[in-house]
Amino acid sequence: MTVEISHLDLLEAESIHIFREAAAQFRKPVLLYSIGKDSTVLLHLARKAFWPGKLPFPILHVNTTWKFKEMIAFRDHWVKEFDLDLIEMTNHEAIAKGVNPYDYSPSIYTDIMKTVPLKAGLDQHGFDGAFGGARRDEEASRAKERVFSFRAEGHRWDPRRQRPEMWRLLNGRLGAGETARIFPLSNWTERDIWRYILREKLDVVPLYMAAERPTIERNGQILMYDDNRFPLKPGETPVMRSIRFRTLGCWPLTAAVESNAVTIEEVVAETLGARNSERSGRLIDHDQVGAMEKKKQEGYF
Amino acid sequence: MTAQPAMKDLNVSTLVTPTTGVIADVAPELSGMLRVLTCGSVDDGKSTLIGRLLWDATDLFDDQRATLERGRRVDGGHPDFSLLMDGLVAEREQGITIDIAWRYFDTKTRRFVVIDSPGHEQYTRNMASGASHADVAIMLIDARHGIKVQTRRHAAILDLVGLKRVVLAVNKMDLVDWSESRFRQIEHDFRTLMWRFGFREAVAIPVAAVSGDNVAERSKHMAWYTGPSLLEHLEEIPSRGTEPVGAFRMPVQTVLRDSRADFRGLAGTISSGTVRVGDTVVDPVSRRSAKVQRIATMDRDYQEAVQGQAVAIQLDTDLDVSRGSVLAAPEAAPVVARTIEARFVWLSEIPFDKRGSYLVRTATDLVPVTNIEIKSLLDLDSLAVHPATACKVNDIAIANVALGRATAIDRFVEAQETGSFMLVDAISGATIAGGTVTSASPDIQQQDNVFVLTRAMLARGLSSDIANTPEGEAEFRRRANEVALLLRSAGVAVEVESLPDYVI
Ligand SMILES: Nc1nc2c(ncn2[C@@H]2O[C@H](COP(=O)(O)OP(=O)(O)OP(=O)(O)O)[C@@H](O)[C@H]2O)c(=O)[nH]1
Ligand SMILES: [Mg+2]
Repeated sequence: MTVEISHLDLLEAESIHIFREAAAQFRKPVLLYSIGKDSTVLLHLARKAFWPGKLPFPILHVNTTWKFKEMIAFRDHWVKEFDLDLIEMTNHEAIAKGVNPYDYSPSIYTDIMKTVPLKAGLDQHGFDGAFGGARRDEEASRAKERVFSFRAEGHRWDPRRQRPEMWRLLNGRLGAGETARIFPLSNWTERDIWRYILREKLDVVPLYMAAERPTIERNGQILMYDDNRFPLKPGETPVMRSIRFRTLGCWPLTAAVESNAVTIEEVVAETLGARNSERSGRLIDHDQVGAMEKKKQEGYF
Repeated sequence: MTAQPAMKDLNVSTLVTPTTGVIADVAPELSGMLRVLTCGSVDDGKSTLIGRLLWDATDLFDDQRATLERGRRVDGGHPDFSLLMDGLVAEREQGITIDIAWRYFDTKTRRFVVIDSPGHEQYTRNMASGASHADVAIMLIDARHGIKVQTRRHAAILDLVGLKRVVLAVNKMDLVDWSESRFRQIEHDFRTLMWRFGFREAVAIPVAAVSGDNVAERSKHMAWYTGPSLLEHLEEIPSRGTEPVGAFRMPVQTVLRDSRADFRGLAGTISSGTVRVGDTVVDPVSRRSAKVQRIATMDRDYQEAVQGQAVAIQLDTDLDVSRGSVLAAPEAAPVVARTIEARFVWLSEIPFDKRGSYLVRTATDLVPVTNIEIKSLLDLDSLAVHPATACKVNDIAIANVALGRATAIDRFVEAQETGSFMLVDAISGATIAGGTVTSASPDIQQQDNVFVLTRAMLARGLSSDIANTPEGEAEFRRRANEVALLLRSAGVAVEVESLPDYVI
């Protein structure tokens, strides 16, 4: 008897396996939830892994306060729907000091508004393992990361000292001062995420679908004018364009693409034919060569 | 830190993602998956080969192509395709691969997963990680240099992890004038390795990675070669096991409950074979058995589930089964092992220490080791096995491992997932070695002056707070392991008393 198992079924089973291993091996895990399409799939798989039980860990969202409004509404809706235990972290001191994505370089802003509160959140609650939705196909240094990825004290990643990971065996035993990041979506591609969202009929933040939205064009990138904190340069006025987003982050740092794809199928069709990688829309990754690796060595997720 | 100022709730109806219902045409699911590993000695061109393959045969993104075109050039003025794989800053600076890179591409029906491994001896542990995940290995050899020690070491690791399907790619044919005799010579030399390790269907292909000769397209420089290009050959190889093989096994990861529905499911991934509702399954360690009442998932229940599926199994009687147990077919159950004979590759820079505290991590169990006796090492020059008592990084050893308590384990040739293990350093948590079981026995290895840590001793004080439930049993075992480890590091040979026998 030959059983046809589609590649999505294989990926789903692998992710569920990883979730169950990590939940059993770590004392106090948490799920990093960023509201985007990867987080949506991550959360769905976590629910499958522990069904019919409740998620055996809380979810943590780092809110820079510069997230698209629709993202926060979407988050709150599902937290209620699935009875999730949400922890929100925001660097209020930095906001009070006036840190914002315009006057600071993307890498400094990311460090202060994302990495610092994330580390604070993990430390304050004593989480020893954190699930993230990172995929190896996203970026060259991610392509090198293990499923259980260990961090030394201060959450530093040392790419030269990764633990061997053989067969389906996962070793989550921690040394002194160590914590772990767990990546159940390691082997998924951007296309798989969309295929799976379609197959499982998952809802995503509407920003992934094209609609007429107020935009500003700068340096060849289209940015969305989400609220009046956007400092307009002389001569700039928001223009309505039909746009959508391939990844979601802070709106001043996330470029949109022009598109008429209003249904999820149309989005998938466009994604399958896309000529640029999804991260090309993230301004932080363009800062410098090896930017992601450097951020991770400093404790970025 | 507080919640951010409330924003007006979006109307829930706007959250419903619009669909038009033509999903199958837009994004068909792929029916198979093949994981391909590159291996071979340092600088033989592994990363260049895969980079070139992605460049020629896949829809690489424009921004990635542009970055490569702008970058440095190699022989023949070609872009440096290895930069598509070598993503770490240190790798780019030194021009070597340090850790494995994972890349993915699809053909019409199948997902290809490519794992590019480092050739450098110092990073053998990373190659071993990659090898254990692959279905087929491309073994590269530089046409100028032929087989090296590291080529043999990689071949031995492929054998160790059970990878038998190998493609030999003789690379840099441009640097030997596309010479057929040179190619035949290396093909001939490689046969020794093939026979020694029992590689199957080992096809040899002459390639030039930088110029793409015989990578995706057939070469115009080697009229004497009439076989397929590397990609053509890979496309012919069947996908990873869709055929359930072996007797039923499911290592239990955790117990899931729903008090409202009176549901208690043993959750895990079926590691071999098939299971049906109504089948009798056994927990080998307690020797108790029960019938499968339900095979459940969030989406639906199954009448039958096969290898690779992640499910929750409800039994008709409540066995005291928790994480670490293996549910198995009663007619072909795993060994309840106290001693295993194993082959492993030592991955840690710290050599084997007779007094060290080690743990064996099986599919879902973690068992303290009471003794490891190295018996022999593989000599990579002669490929013969020599008696030994010590073992250090990158060595491939055969050893007897005495376990501090009984656990369910298979011989690797019979069931790969329940027959492989990792050796873990109990103190640092580090993964020390990866191995496969060649034989397993319920017999306790004879040792002098062994202190037996009994259940009664632990129950009296240290574990008096533990409830008599499966989770309690797991916690009891965890504490027993930790105590055993502490005693061991103090120089006391120690054993943990097994579970009471449940035979009725
Ligand atoms: N002339 C020629 N040079 C090649 C060919 N393939 C690879 N090279 C060169 O060989 C060198 C090593 O190539 P890599 O792809 O980095 O080798 P590797 O096997 O990945 O090396 P490690 O991962 O460090 O073990 C580079 O300078 C390549 O440009 C080839 O077919 N012809
Ligand atoms: Mg390389």
